[in-house]
Amino acid sequence: MKSLHNAYGQEPPRLGVSLLQCLIFGLFCLFAVRLWYLQIHLGPVFTEKSRNNQLRTEYLFAPRGFLRDRNGELLAVNEPAFVLGLVREDCDDIPATLSKVSEWTGIPAERLKDVYTRNKPKVKPFEPLILVPDLDFPLIAKVEGASVRWPGLDILSRTRRKYIYGHLLSHVLGFVAEANESEMQADPSLSLGDFVGKQGLENRLDDRLRGAKGRRLIEVDVTGRRLSEELQRQPRAGEEIFLSLDLSLQQLGHRVLEGKAGAVVVLDPDTGEIHALVSEPSYDSNAFTAGLSSAQWAELRDNPMHPLQNRATQGVYPPGSVFKLLMAAAALHEGMVDPKETVQCTGELALGNHVFHCWKRGGHGTVNFQRALVESCDTYFYKLGLKLGVDRISSYAKLAGLGDLTGIDLPHEKPGLVPTREWKMKRYGVRWTKGEDLNLAIGQGYTGLTPLQVARLVAALINGGKVLKPQLIRGMQPEVQGTLPLTPDQAAVLKRAMIATVEDPRGTCRRVLTPGVVVGAKTGSAQVVRLTDELKRMGDSVPYKYRDHAWMAGFGERDGRRFVVVAMVEHGMHGASGAGPVVKAMLDALFLGKRELPPRDVDGAERPAETAKRLTLDAVEPKFPDLPQELEGAQ
Amino acid sequence: MSPIDRRMLYHVNWPLVGILGALFFIGVLNLYSASGVRLGEGVSVEPYYQKQVIWGTIGLFGMMAFMTFDYRRLSSVAWPLYAVTLLLLLAVPFLGKTIYGARRWLDFGLFSFQPSELAKFAVLLLGARILSAEPERLDLKRLSYILGLGLVPTLMIIKQPDLGTGMLVLLLLGGLVLYRGIRPWLFRTLCVLLPLVTPLAWFGLKDYQKRRILAFLDPATDPLGSGYHILQSEIAVGSGRIFGKGFLAGTQSQLRFLPEKHTDFAVAVLGEEWGFFGMMILLSLFCAFLYQIAMVARDAKDPFGSYLAAGVFFYFFWQVLINMGMVMGLMPVVGVPLPFISYGGSATLVNFSLLGLVLNVSMRRYLFKQT
Repeated sequence: MKSLHNAYGQEPPRLGVSLLQCLIFGLFCLFAVRLWYLQIHLGPVFTEKSRNNQLRTEYLFAPRGFLRDRNGELLAVNEPAFVLGLVREDCDDIPATLSKVSEWTGIPAERLKDVYTRNKPKVKPFEPLILVPDLDFPLIAKVEGASVRWPGLDILSRTRRKYIYGHLLSHVLGFVAEANESEMQADPSLSLGDFVGKQGLENRLDDRLRGAKGRRLIEVDVTGRRLSEELQRQPRAGEEIFLSLDLSLQQLGHRVLEGKAGAVVVLDPDTGEIHALVSEPSYDSNAFTAGLSSAQWAELRDNPMHPLQNRATQGVYPPGSVFKLLMAAAALHEGMVDPKETVQCTGELALGNHVFHCWKRGGHGTVNFQRALVESCDTYFYKLGLKLGVDRISSYAKLAGLGDLTGIDLPHEKPGLVPTREWKMKRYGVRWTKGEDLNLAIGQGYTGLTPLQVARLVAALINGGKVLKPQLIRGMQPEVQGTLPLTPDQAAVLKRAMIATVEDPRGTCRRVLTPGVVVGAKTGSAQVVRLTDELKRMGDSVPYKYRDHAWMAGFGERDGRRFVVVAMVEHGMHGASGAGPVVKAMLDALFLGKRELPPRDVDGAERPAETAKRLTLDAVEPKFPDLPQELEGAQ
Repeated sequence: MSPIDRRMLYHVNWPLVGILGALFFIGVLNLYSASGVRLGEGVSVEPYYQKQVIWGTIGLFGMMAFMTFDYRRLSSVAWPLYAVTLLLLLAVPFLGKTIYGARRWLDFGLFSFQPSELAKFAVLLLGARILSAEPERLDLKRLSYILGLGLVPTLMIIKQPDLGTGMLVLLLLGGLVLYRGIRPWLFRTLCVLLPLVTPLAWFGLKDYQKRRILAFLDPATDPLGSGYHILQSEIAVGSGRIFGKGFLAGTQSQLRFLPEKHTDFAVAVLGEEWGFFGMMILLSLFCAFLYQIAMVARDAKDPFGSYLAAGVFFYFFWQVLINMGMVMGLMPVVGVPLPFISYGGSATLVNFSLLGLVLNVSMRRYLFKQT
């Protein structure tokens, strides 16, 4: 070879040939290593990425469970709603599209831009970003018509929660609204635009009502075209729940409280089921599902009547004379009182250098146990308070569940307060005084209770001492949370006194006397402020905010059915005149059948002709089956 | 002399032809899959593979045509061809037609033609001619002269704009220069200077070219923009793992996540469907292919032949390096096809023809000079 080249004078450059060989070797090594790195070392990573490219997960919404009252009346349903979404990947000019949407809907462009930028990081590629949560039909037509010119805009159908009686049940049902960031973080199954229960039962029963989303795996190509789809999981609809509430009672409660601020609780003392839980004024649950404007929100929040507050569970009020029921029970059980023993009421009681007055200036004269309750004699209970002392009173209050959460399935319940020696020391750094025993005995001072707690107390007094968890769902097993110690004899004495309060000519609760029904009750007028002489002189024309809260707590019994009814009217002045008519109306409805169904806020859902589940569920209800009006009439 | 001697036929470098056949076969097979698109059920295949076979057949004739004459005659055409190339390149900005935003084609009615393809051949020929006559290793003067000759068409091509082809022309010439060898001191100086000067070229790049380089340095910055090509290509190759997803089963390519999948990124389809195993076979074939050409350069009868073969070596070497490097995310995105694997009519014709030239050099290695 060499000789051959020599013959032509020049060899191919030897170094050059080595260079070529080195280059080949280098090429091989470089790519072999890189291929090993990409395909073997990082292979699983890239396989995952290619799957992510190719497969998309789509979630199928599960319809939220309906809510019905104890008779099967629909309370909350779902109805179709249309929203406007924007798929960013399909949209070639987002600012122009946003301003077009603003022009169509009248929503300021700034707000749309804000919605867009705020939600952009939360929406996955090729998923629609919800721009407008509520489209009416003319708008849908407009968007559909222009969809060719504005790619990326998409009308999506969603279901929206509807509360058929928006105002009537808002404090119990609460409402749903779009999940916020922290909720989505806490629950990975939630995605943007999902509705979750924010308040009331919707919140507490969210897991049962929500159901489970279905999942569909979709194979797509680079343009997002669907090639195949596979249903991985069927959506599971939310559970339908029958509440223990009775729609007609609920309606009645709202009507009798109209224009006032107050609460009514109707409780079955044997099961703990709540038949009515009314708080006035109320708000419309539907306002929240469509998204509340800040003006609407401000109006609700700043309303001096606090419509957002559920007064039955969150309103803490001094119980006034209603507290005497607990005093009576404690004294009976402690043996501190002989029902026949009498006390002289002169209208005042001096303790140290302070004089405590009975509400009746002239005094009640000679008063025994029953008369003290019937006429609500303060002096009698002052003396009882001195005998029992704060320690015993507060321990009985604790046994009756006062000052504690009742455990009702509603969020943000307030525990109220029953003062103790230790509490006062801790709170004010001052020792408990004898005078405060007296105040405590008539339900004034530091004591604060919710209407629901009072209802539970009354239930315990007549059901043999069982402190029950108030139930909002029909057919639940009664849950005894504690016992108020009371022998049957003592309970009978107390009950008789309560009945006498209604039936006795001098009774404070004569107003709720209902023919054919055994009714027992106790009034209460709770001072809001220490009344000055000036205010006292004004009598019934005291300014609204200084007026006493009116209470009436009672029960009715007929044919083995019995109910506890508690009404509280803020600044209702006198228990009998302020809260009495409310209790009376409820008793009439419960026992005399004076009830009617309310008009609906929302059309759409049909009234069920008959509810199949009902009879079977009623079978598990204990002792006092609450038969529906129609069935009762038929018997 | 008679155009074809029987002895020469006997001396045809059959291993090289065999490797070429294997590469072309793999290329067509892969192209069948790379031009498939899944729309709903089944895969619909665009007929690129058929066209590639037709171009291969035409290329075969081109190859044979380049084997018929004595390659040494080419030495005398080197200068005139260079001149014609420059003229044609000059004409492109005025007469050329614009495709994909770049003015690269001259339309001759029946067919359109890229003068830049001719430039590769012209520079190869001229480089081989001048360098084969260099008695010494190159000093600065000679180096500047030769690189200057190469730089003229290169800049004209880059202006079209066609960075890939322009770079290829210059790299081809650079490879030949290294094959000849330059003075050690000059080599050392260049080794220091080049890395310093290269970044200056940044300012001469167009925006989209800068974006590609930035995207290469960090594909994650813009996964749906410039980084998209690199990312999707890496995903395709990487997800092939050891034995690949199977023929026609690559999701990256069939669902069109992989861009340019029948041209520049065709080898990514191979990587996805045949995995590490298939890629190593292809890589080995390319190395054997280049090795055969290098051997032809070593064994050539005369320096001109040796430089011709070396030129063809570099022509293929750079394309393999740049294209596969790009597909595997080792290089920025530059429009350089992979010989025999990427679809391309004129490229196939040129590839086959240049190989014909190598075979020409190879089979005449035993012939004595004829007078």
